[in-house]
Amino acid sequence: MTGGYGAGRFSRGIAWATVLYLVLPITIVLPVSLTDQRFLSLPQEALSLRHYANIFASPAWLAAIGQSFGLAVVSTLLAVAAGTLCAIGCWRLSRRASDLVRVLMLLPLIIPSIVYAVGLYRWFGKLDLLDRFLGVALAHAVTGIPYVVITVSAALAAFDPRLEQAARGMGASLGQTLRWVILPRIAPGIASGAIFAFIHSWDELVMVLFITSRQVFTLPRKMWDGINENLDPTMAAVAMLLVVFTLGLLWLDGALRRKRAA
Amino acid sequence: MTLPPPSASAPAGHALALTGLTRRYGAFTAVQDVSLSVASGQFLTLLGPSGSGKTTILMMVAGFTEPSAGSILLDGRDITALPPERRDFGMVFQGYALFPHMTVAENVSFPLRVRGLARAARDAKVRAALDLVQLDRFADRKPAQLSGGQQQRVALARALVFDPALLLLDEPLSALDKKLRGELQEELKALHRRIGRTFINVTHDQEEALRLSDRVAILDHGRLVQQGSPLELYERPATRFVADFLGRSNFLAGTVREVRPGAMALLAGATRVVQAVPEGAPRLALGTPGLLALRPEKITLLAPGEAADTEVAGEIAAWSYHGTGFSLAVQTTDLGILHVALPAWRAAISPTEGMPVRLGWPADASVPVAEDSHAA
Ligand SMILES: Nc1ncnc2c1ncn2[C@@H]1O[C@H](COP(=O)(O)OP(=O)(O)OP(=O)(O)O)[C@@H](O)[C@H]1O
Ligand SMILES: [Mg+2]
Repeated sequence: MTGGYGAGRFSRGIAWATVLYLVLPITIVLPVSLTDQRFLSLPQEALSLRHYANIFASPAWLAAIGQSFGLAVVSTLLAVAAGTLCAIGCWRLSRRASDLVRVLMLLPLIIPSIVYAVGLYRWFGKLDLLDRFLGVALAHAVTGIPYVVITVSAALAAFDPRLEQAARGMGASLGQTLRWVILPRIAPGIASGAIFAFIHSWDELVMVLFITSRQVFTLPRKMWDGINENLDPTMAAVAMLLVVFTLGLLWLDGALRRKRAA
Repeated sequence: MTLPPPSASAPAGHALALTGLTRRYGAFTAVQDVSLSVASGQFLTLLGPSGSGKTTILMMVAGFTEPSAGSILLDGRDITALPPERRDFGMVFQGYALFPHMTVAENVSFPLRVRGLARAARDAKVRAALDLVQLDRFADRKPAQLSGGQQQRVALARALVFDPALLLLDEPLSALDKKLRGELQEELKALHRRIGRTFINVTHDQEEALRLSDRVAILDHGRLVQQGSPLELYERPATRFVADFLGRSNFLAGTVREVRPGAMALLAGATRVVQAVPEGAPRLALGTPGLLALRPEKITLLAPGEAADTEVAGEIAAWSYHGTGFSLAVQTTDLGILHVALPAWRAAISPTEGMPVRLGWPADASVPVAEDSHAA
């Protein structure tokens, strides 16, 4: 006799098939990035790191990485500030009002990004933000806000409102309560939101295609152009680095959550 | 000549007065027209069953809930509109509300930090406050690493450290086991005596209310039913609810048959119940129905031939033993079941079910009480 309700053979099979389906593309990119050939292909005679070396020797790739990183940092900062304030505001408001605001905040997740991009294109033209660092940073920040709102709201839901009352009852102003009581309690939620907002900006392509041309040239944009123009395996190497970097961020998020749970 | 105050620099406790305090939630009235006053240095307990509006009153006093009507006066000054952070009350919340990310010392130091005290002054006061609640050894622990009783004392230290003139306590001992609760009740009472501040305590534990308070205010369905010293409330409950909620009572219902100066008699079936009526007490008119409350410990077992103002015969329907005494439920024909508390040591009988007994009590053992106005 086995205890508990183990998964049936069928559902187990489906689960593993799903995992394979999700992981398979990555397992193909890895060998391709290690190819010894000069075009996108599987390794023929030996494994080689030359394409990885290529990235760091190419000013174009390095510039793209630098620009993407800078954009991700700036847009994350903006998204975290706006998203955290929004979540706290909703939390303090009445339930009806805050539900409405929360749904509004999730719009960027619900609307297809291509629709969003078209809209941005029209507005940014008027505002002279096309092909500008600030424009892309704003676009990524706005679309990154939902991640922050979701994670910070979740952290606030677990926050005991009596702690705020206790603080105010002891004479703390709103600012002091925020700084000494609320923010430290929801910091892990903010960190999670920041990580997701960062990842979002880091690999966002659709909006970038619409609102940039030459001045701003992000890493996903460079990969996109690379795929369209030539079949350089450097792309696979870059892709692998992206995967590793993103996994690192997700691991960090998991570690923060574990620390919060402890 | 008057005694010097407990500490020369400390201000005396605040006097607080509530007038017509009301709080409505939509169509529901959580607190209705409560008027109360607490003198400086007094220990007041708000006592009532769950949902009777105790927390709501405390939250209005603290400033977290806005009254729908009525006002709150602090030393004669209207503070109804003052925000909570400007009231300067110490408060211990139901469940303590300690900051989990701060150590015990940081928690206690919070109200001082808010007031912009320098580090050295803060540390000294925190140490003194932790000494007071005997937690000096735990200063560097997080709240999660403390027992319930220790957390409760941290909450108390945090509420006391800035020397508030009024301390609000919302069921501070409800989460503790009986023994620890008893110890902390003693500590709380001693603390109150030592620092001479005004305390307002909320509880639904009647024993705690009786032990700790100078005054008790009894609430039911958002209304103030009766207030007074513990002794007054226990000995002279005004309504059936108070007699039943504060301790246990038997209720004797009958019709008023005789009225003389200082006493009256009710007839319940064939039993004549004699009731003393003290000077100035409202008296019931001849022929009207009357209700008396009688404490189980005031009933005695009559020996053969022994007489009492009121006598009734019955037989033991159920009994139990509590170490200090027996609890008897005696079935009578005219008065229904009467609960009797009998000291066990040298008890005249060893109870068995079905045993016939004769009960009696003096005329001043019972008190006339009113039926509850909202009785269902
Ligand atoms: N925010 C609110 N909205 C609606 N009704 C409320 C609200 N707060 C309290 N009440 C109602 O008011 C009544 C009194 O609540 P209160 O919390 O004051 O009770 P209490 O005497 O403290 O009870 P307990 O002993 O269970 O803590 C309850 O019936 C409660 O349901
Ligand atoms: Mg309560």
